[in-house]
Amino acid sequence: MAISIAPYTADWILAVKAFNQRLAAGGVGAEFRFPESNIPHWLPEIDDRTIYQRYYLAVDGEQVRGAFILKHQEFRLRQGSAKIVYYHLPLSEGIVNKSYSSVGVLMLRSALKVEPSLYCLGMGGFDRPLPTMLKALRWSMCAVPFYFRVVRPSRFLREVQPVRRTPLRRLLADAGAFSGLGWLAIHALQTVRSRRPFADATTEPIVNFGDWADALWVRGAPQYPLIASRESRVLNVLYPSGKNFLCYKVSRGNDLIGWFVALDTQMKDNKYFGNLRIGAIADCLATPENARSVIEAARTVLTERGVDLVVANHSHQEWGSAFTSAGFFEGPSNFIFAASRDLSDRLGPFPEVQHQIYLMRGDGDGPVNL
Amino acid sequence: MTSSPILDRVSAIAADVLQVPASSLSLQSSPETVESWDSVRHLDLVLALEQEFHLQFEPEEIDQMKNAERIVDILSAKTPTR
Repeated sequence: MAISIAPYTADWILAVKAFNQRLAAGGVGAEFRFPESNIPHWLPEIDDRTIYQRYYLAVDGEQVRGAFILKHQEFRLRQGSAKIVYYHLPLSEGIVNKSYSSVGVLMLRSALKVEPSLYCLGMGGFDRPLPTMLKALRWSMCAVPFYFRVVRPSRFLREVQPVRRTPLRRLLADAGAFSGLGWLAIHALQTVRSRRPFADATTEPIVNFGDWADALWVRGAPQYPLIASRESRVLNVLYPSGKNFLCYKVSRGNDLIGWFVALDTQMKDNKYFGNLRIGAIADCLATPENARSVIEAARTVLTERGVDLVVANHSHQEWGSAFTSAGFFEGPSNFIFAASRDLSDRLGPFPEVQHQIYLMRGDGDGPVNL
Repeated sequence: MTSSPILDRVSAIAADVLQVPASSLSLQSSPETVESWDSVRHLDLVLALEQEFHLQFEPEEIDQMKNAERIVDILSAKTPTR
């Protein structure tokens, strides 16, 4: 039976459940399951929204052998508006049954045929199967840098798993945590890295994004060669009120200079963060010259809430410098951006442009992974 | 494999991509019979064949590439005879 790509309709729900069961039986991790509802819980295609997801299946007779999601979103690309599509959660039965080795390629080639300007984000590191496949297809790829600032050094030393990977490192981390030397060392390093105290901005919590956000978008977007739309109509869909998003305006004097969206999450036996309380700067916008003020404002809000660690991913070089100036360390990143050849051609020379594009966690695959 | 110009080229490319001796491949060779023929190698094989034959496979053709014989058939149909 030939495999073809079909939109995920309600008729396929039972077949998707069976597909998920076969992946589970083959030992595939629980995070790799396709939604067992054909209507996306996050970003469904409704009304005149310009940001939405569509689910697709690779079907073989009455069986599902693969699946993927396309997230449609408006971007500003090189001073123009562009619809660029995020290819995510591709799952192929080929990972548990070699008879379906071609499904992964088939799905990606099918998606590219319909949407040549595709990108992928996240993926867990360059050595994973999807980035390996994208590299073979000569997609342009880079890691989106990861920044962190420790608020409670003793808890950081006791909980952050990469620091505690070997018995010796665990011993040293515990010694640092209990003696107070760890606190001293981390505090001193972060203070030295912060160029000077920088508390020039004020923050105001917001419930919705309004015209003010559109004004910031008009000012900020042209500074970046590739940035997903951060207009109010999009932001109110991505970060609706009543959820756990901490949304703030940032001002300097009477001038509104930016906004940020943060999350305050208590981790539980997380493979990276143990049981730390993590403050994540999931999204923000400002012009590059105001980056540090927005970062400092977000860090202050999260610190005052009592988080142990503040984290963020940001692809833009000047924002990276602003994080470093604000005392953040850069850590290893497994948050990978990959642009299809068509998208890469539209962007221009990738080695240069990769440091100018604007990507954060908020551009990824939804609130679960922020 | 029985020799033909396309078959010889497919055999050489498959051996190189799958890192097996060409002599171990047959028309029936498939992901089920060749240990190293997984999803990533399948993509490598598709790309290597596209480069060698200066063509691009349609998604449905990629699906049909279940074994060496089908690959040769698809390439024979896509490659102009001289």
